[in-house]
Amino acid sequence: MRKESYKALIPLKSAVVKIRPETRNVVTYYVKLPDGVELPKPGQFNMLYIHGVGEVPISVSSISYEDRVIAHAVRFVGSVTNAFSTLKEGDHIGFRGPYGVGWPLDLAVGNDILLIGGGVGLPPLRPVIDEVRSARELYGRLVILYGARTPEDLLYTYEYDEYTSIPNTELHLTVDNPTNEWRGNVGVVTNLIRTVDVDPNNTYAFVCGPEIMMKFSVKELLKKGFKSNRIFLSLERRMKCGVGLCGHCQMGPYFVCKHGPVFPLWFISKYFWVDQI
Amino acid sequence: MSITGLYVSRLDALPKIFTELQRLNYTVVGYKVVNNVLRLDRLNTFEEVATGVEDVQNPGRYYLIPGNFHRHGPDSPKNFLYPPRLPLFEVSPEWGVVVKDYSKDLRLAFFGIKSCDLTSIKVLDRVVSDVDETYVSIRGNSVIVVENCTQPGNTCFCNTMGAGPRARDSFDIAYTRLGSKLVVEAGSDLGLKIINRLAVEPIDDSTYSEFESVMTKAALKARANFETENLPELLELRLESNAYKEVVKRCLGCANCNLVCPTCFCFDVLDVLRIDGSAERVRVWDGCLNYTYAQVAGGHFRPDLWARYRHFILHKFTYWIKQFGTFGCVGCGRCITWCPAGIDIRDSLLRVLKGGVI
Repeated sequence: MRKESYKALIPLKSAVVKIRPETRNVVTYYVKLPDGVELPKPGQFNMLYIHGVGEVPISVSSISYEDRVIAHAVRFVGSVTNAFSTLKEGDHIGFRGPYGVGWPLDLAVGNDILLIGGGVGLPPLRPVIDEVRSARELYGRLVILYGARTPEDLLYTYEYDEYTSIPNTELHLTVDNPTNEWRGNVGVVTNLIRTVDVDPNNTYAFVCGPEIMMKFSVKELLKKGFKSNRIFLSLERRMKCGVGLCGHCQMGPYFVCKHGPVFPLWFISKYFWVDQI
Repeated sequence: MSITGLYVSRLDALPKIFTELQRLNYTVVGYKVVNNVLRLDRLNTFEEVATGVEDVQNPGRYYLIPGNFHRHGPDSPKNFLYPPRLPLFEVSPEWGVVVKDYSKDLRLAFFGIKSCDLTSIKVLDRVVSDVDETYVSIRGNSVIVVENCTQPGNTCFCNTMGAGPRARDSFDIAYTRLGSKLVVEAGSDLGLKIINRLAVEPIDDSTYSEFESVMTKAALKARANFETENLPELLELRLESNAYKEVVKRCLGCANCNLVCPTCFCFDVLDVLRIDGSAERVRVWDGCLNYTYAQVAGGHFRPDLWARYRHFILHKFTYWIKQFGTFGCVGCGRCITWCPAGIDIRDSLLRVLKGGVI
């Protein structure tokens, strides 16, 4: 039985407590959760409302359990996200959430985790890194593959040392267009999948990035021997309501906002490869 | 279900039902003729109900001629239960939220809608009743007086979709016009109460055989050239059919089909700014044929028209079953009639099922 209601479309006033510029067009907004709102899980998203402008779905990029502050990495691409650039610390925005199904960390217990992120696909994976760090003994190896267009577009460079200091953790980076100073891998993130050494029978792969990057990543993972119940994808669609009512986010028969955004590959495999489904 | 089974009264019982609904404080909504089109609208008197006209419906064609039976126009009960534009709430600059309350003033009686539209209400019940308080409050106070459809039109295929032409359940009163006779049955306590005001007799053999023969003929007329058995699976196995690309060569992408469809429920929410700095959040209908429907600032998930048309078809006949347990199509034929290019969804389905040729 569905229990949401259109009253669920009413945003709650929330304070932006901190703003952190990340790259030339990505900024992280730390939002204090309104009272009574449940804490999100890694992989879930929230609907953020700019008064008089509109609402956008933004995934959760970190969860501070003690002070109930949630980070949202916003890339300035459209009318609403561009309006975020006018916000100052202490300003208010509207908040609804958390929504959707997150990463299956419960399934991954006792297994290795392979995170594959492209561009702004890293923020939704970031709470997984935090989770593994805080309960390190629950999981096996953590392998992070991350690619961006240019070195300047790589997110969270300031905390890569922290990632690699987590025991039994690897971080591999790549960029499509290197600068002269870049000494790392060049090319798409799928190249990294080819070279990384993981056991497909004991690893869960969590993938988030542009749809084309996810399609190629999945092909590489299948070639490596991953089964479709060990590959999880976070899909992007147009989301207006977040509760499976407005229809916009449908991918095949699924409301991505409600049945996803994180899906096991097998569950969407009838549709995932179909052009413009 | 029918509580009473069939009873017979005279045709002049219809205005009595109408006035009884008004006496019970219902706003009666029915078809009247406006600018040569049947429009579903609030009616003040029984005389406003469309009479003496018949709607001729063909792919891309709609006009009225003199006649004694009308079906429907572009409007459906959705227009009243799930309005095209509905302010949801207002947010003041200080973030005070004022929620609109629609529960008090609406007591609607749908009068003379056909079985396809009754079924569309049943479909909407499944889709939005748990999630849309506005719908629930309007629907909860509504009455349905349905007319069994004795003369389905050329674009009708309700019988194929299991939606008509005879109403079987979920009505307060169902009536059938047979010459000067009116066959009535009640499906609720309220229906019983209203029929109690009429002079009725149990249906006799000859009236029943006339009723049965009229409804059987109507059912045959309201059939499409495809079967719904296995339809969801067959369409799903043909996701990449070229037929969609063939069909949309004529499609204008206008989304008329979405707007006239009695079950299409997709919506957008817009901000309307006020001079005092407050913002009203307004729900407006949206449709999957609109170019912007699956567009985001960073890209577009269905830039091609054929993909948007395919989504419309697959949603009605495949996805809806998985999402809500019924088809999203009731066979009313409005999307065929009101398509400016006359694209016939029955032909489209056949093309997909038969690999592009029909």
